[in-house]
Amino acid sequence: MKYDQARWTDDNEDRYEPLLSEKASQTVDIDDSPLPDDLTRDSLSLPDPAEPELARHYTRLSQMNYGVESGPFPLGSCTMKYNPSFTEDVAARADAAIHPDRPDSTTQGTLALCHRLQDYLGRIGGMDAVTLQPPAGAAGEFTGIQIAKAYHEHNDDERSEVIIPDSAHGTNFATAAMAGYDVVELPSGDDGRVDIEALEAAVGDETAALMLTNPNTLGLFERDIEHVADIVHDAGGLLYYDGANLNALLGRARPGDMGFDVMHYNVHKTFATPHGGGGPGAGPVGVREELAQFLPNPHVRERGGNFEHYEPDHSIGKVHGFYGNWPVLLKTFAYIARLGDEGLRDASAKAVLNANYLAEQIEYEVPFGPFHHEFVASAGEQDAADAAKRMLDYGVHPPTTKWPEIVDEALMTEPTEGETKRSLDQLAAAFNAVAGDSDAELADAPSRPTAKRIDQATAARNPRLSWQALDDT
Amino acid sequence: MSFDVPDDLRYLESHEWVRVAGDTAAVGITAFAQDELGDVVFVELPEEGAELAAGEDFGVVESIKAVSDVYAPVSGTVTAVNDRLRDEPELLNEDPFGDGWMLEVEVADESEVDDLLSPDAYRDQIE
Amino acid sequence: MSNSDSHTTGSPYAPQTAAETATMLEAVGADDLESLFDVPESVAFDGEFGIDARSERAARREVARLLGRNADLTEFLGRGHYDHYVPSVVDDLASRSEFLTSYTQYQPEVAQGFLQALFEFQSMLVELTGLGVANCSMYDDATALGEAATLSQRVRSVSGDRILVPEHLREGKRAVLSNYADGPELTVESYPMTDGVVDVPALTDEIGDDTAMVYAESPTVRGVIEERLSAIGDLAHDHEALFCLGSDPVALSLLERPVDVGADVVVGDAASLGTGTAYGFGLGMFVTREEYLRQVPGRLVGASEDAADRRAYTLTLQTREQHIRKERATSNICTNQAWVALRTAMHAAWLGPDGLVDLAEDCVTRARDLADRLDDIVGVKAPVHGRHHFREFLAHTDQPASAIVADLAAEGFAVHAVGDHLVQVCATETTADATDEFVAALREVAK
Repeated sequence: MKYDQARWTDDNEDRYEPLLSEKASQTVDIDDSPLPDDLTRDSLSLPDPAEPELARHYTRLSQMNYGVESGPFPLGSCTMKYNPSFTEDVAARADAAIHPDRPDSTTQGTLALCHRLQDYLGRIGGMDAVTLQPPAGAAGEFTGIQIAKAYHEHNDDERSEVIIPDSAHGTNFATAAMAGYDVVELPSGDDGRVDIEALEAAVGDETAALMLTNPNTLGLFERDIEHVADIVHDAGGLLYYDGANLNALLGRARPGDMGFDVMHYNVHKTFATPHGGGGPGAGPVGVREELAQFLPNPHVRERGGNFEHYEPDHSIGKVHGFYGNWPVLLKTFAYIARLGDEGLRDASAKAVLNANYLAEQIEYEVPFGPFHHEFVASAGEQDAADAAKRMLDYGVHPPTTKWPEIVDEALMTEPTEGETKRSLDQLAAAFNAVAGDSDAELADAPSRPTAKRIDQATAARNPRLSWQALDDT
Repeated sequence: MSFDVPDDLRYLESHEWVRVAGDTAAVGITAFAQDELGDVVFVELPEEGAELAAGEDFGVVESIKAVSDVYAPVSGTVTAVNDRLRDEPELLNEDPFGDGWMLEVEVADESEVDDLLSPDAYRDQIE
Repeated sequence: MSNSDSHTTGSPYAPQTAAETATMLEAVGADDLESLFDVPESVAFDGEFGIDARSERAARREVARLLGRNADLTEFLGRGHYDHYVPSVVDDLASRSEFLTSYTQYQPEVAQGFLQALFEFQSMLVELTGLGVANCSMYDDATALGEAATLSQRVRSVSGDRILVPEHLREGKRAVLSNYADGPELTVESYPMTDGVVDVPALTDEIGDDTAMVYAESPTVRGVIEERLSAIGDLAHDHEALFCLGSDPVALSLLERPVDVGADVVVGDAASLGTGTAYGFGLGMFVTREEYLRQVPGRLVGASEDAADRRAYTLTLQTREQHIRKERATSNICTNQAWVALRTAMHAAWLGPDGLVDLAEDCVTRARDLADRLDDIVGVKAPVHGRHHFREFLAHTDQPASAIVADLAAEGFAVHAVGDHLVQVCATETTADATDEFVAALREVAK
């Protein structure tokens, strides 16, 4: 064997990882099964790595992945803050690993913890009742909008429209449509906030709800929020709070106090549960008293020192087959209990300071302001997506790009409270280096990660979504 | 950057072009439109025989990160569809006024053509 | 300080020093942290949450104290949520922070590891089902079923709004489906079952040209292996309805391939591989035919090439999704269950095809053997349905089912009460060691 073939190397060329199916696969014929042949398949072909091989495979894959512990992760709107290790141990407890169909009398610990978390979240959001069932933020939105729908139907007041600002998360639009509503898109005002005149023109008898993120996706607080609430309420609509940006306001303002009727919390953003490469999250929903009767079934309540599931009087039914993403909720509880009032307030303060500090240090233009937890810079003459790829060469994760569209070539940046001044200075240096790089350098980026620029057009034009579909194996 | 705006075509504000020859019209999207979209990865078009109404959407063009409706410049019956776009959507990027044509339509009302933008008017719009 | 149970110095995960904070405030021209909040006085919150901060040790103790109130039961429970042994290597590898703390793969060049793992997960589901397209997760089986119903409305050419589901269906699953059906105004109707399996003649009467989708499960919620899936598929297709099959990856390792029985969509929960019992925490699988590719909900990972002409992976066909198509998206899903899918893929790879088939065959024989043993008990008849079972089965008890459940709980065991005199019992390798004691306990309480 030649030295070149034998040596282990960090050279990129040799550090791609084959598919499991290319390493060790096996076909098992199914005969002598305890079932009649006509109820079984003929064979099964799948990878069959031994455990040491498996361990190396996934370890190598992990090395080709960037997480919060790898370095700065200023992905706007995503709140990629540090995920405390101890919450993983909490979620892995054996006495938490119970089956959902046990009688309530045998799950008092789990129910007590859920009840406590409902209470904590209610206090943090200024809401009267909270359901833990929605398994993600978008599921929380769906829950909240179904609650709004149930409320209007309960009042014999069917409505057909949900109003959403143009700067809102895409999930808001998709959720409203999924619940059967027509979407009315509200243009932002010149200051990046809700345009009151446009809102007044948009509301009416058909308005079921206005969905709002505050601070909005530009990091701006909707200063006219009380006026906004009055306009929507006067029209008979409800005000929905998208909790994606709640990390900006902990202990400073509460959706319930601003006039919101229903909200979701993104615990994988605000309360530091790990994002897991796309999920799981959890999207608890809070409502004011009048809407509690519509919460999903079951809800947890305390009766004489015991905890029990019950079905709210006019429940919308269920949004998850059981009780939601329980391990994630456990981590949420542990995080809130660890931080308490002072820690939560501090987290927001530092998140806001970090965003403002970083905005100050970078050379790209940063329109609008004053900011809270995030800001949206403009890459100006550069292509924001190319700029992001170039940032990878400076060893940091780039911001969210090209969104919201209100800002040209947007670089939506949210450093979170988890960065020191030193790491923010490094991050700013990366932004500023990229700002000074040529279009050619941007177009050729990245060169540092194992994978170079990936051809997304080919992936979409010729979808190959499984190893069975690959023609090069 | 300036984009090709052929003088023998008429245009819609939403960036479709139409080439009228007798009572037949070819329809596509402009060079400016394909550049705004980026790499086109999928084109959804109506079947032959479908009826188009001027100003109504008749299809969808997708790039990696955007989706755009395509609007009919004129009313009429679809007489031909560019099947190559099914497997080669990149033709919209490479040759928007030629091989990237989308449909041929039998024009129902030729007077609708007069309502469309002239090349100069479209040039003004995109500059 | 480190020994104190109270913690009063702000967030332990906000690492800047006081000196840094002061420097940064000066840099942004702010007097203090509070002045950074642009919140009008009238909506500012000046109260307290009343939540005490704890040390890490105290927070852990608090959780331990609360969860200590859960009874310690050996669970012979299933009905859609199953416990299989998860090897340590899954916990070990999945806990690597590069996986656990990463985001959705919007920058694929630094997310190749997770993308490849999800691509492998999708591929495993393609092999298990024989269908061409698997997404990289829904929340759970119930929400996956809801998504299948809305897909059926989008892809079916004839107008129709009826979704037919089996009479034996977990209530929670049906309730979720009803919520998904609400917006698009689909109606959910049950068709009857006979002795544990689909009553095909009755389904023939129920189905019509206004049927958008027929849903069936194998194994059913009662653990029965459905025997006439092909007939159900044919019936659905005769009426241009979609045939949606509910199953799980362990069962699919042994049972008929969905593609061979005419399934158009396969949904189900896959978390029993990789995660096990977690109070209903799930992993929705969603697999369908290639012709419906552009109507699939959720994220898809595809193969492509990078600038060095090496194979690389990326999220693809994102124009289906909410962040691009907004109100016309195929679903509102954003955050999914990617990390749970990673665990499932790891567990499936650890088992390999022979391990998966062995596990599935065990699910058949364990249920059969335990039913035989329970049938020998005075006051118990098992299984109720004279069918092949997978993991679980119904038993008839002379005593009221509620009394059986309560009395068994007192003995440290859990089973389902399904009807007045019907209990359901699930057996996997995780309860194998406790089976003798369980049978003895049931013998006492069933008298």
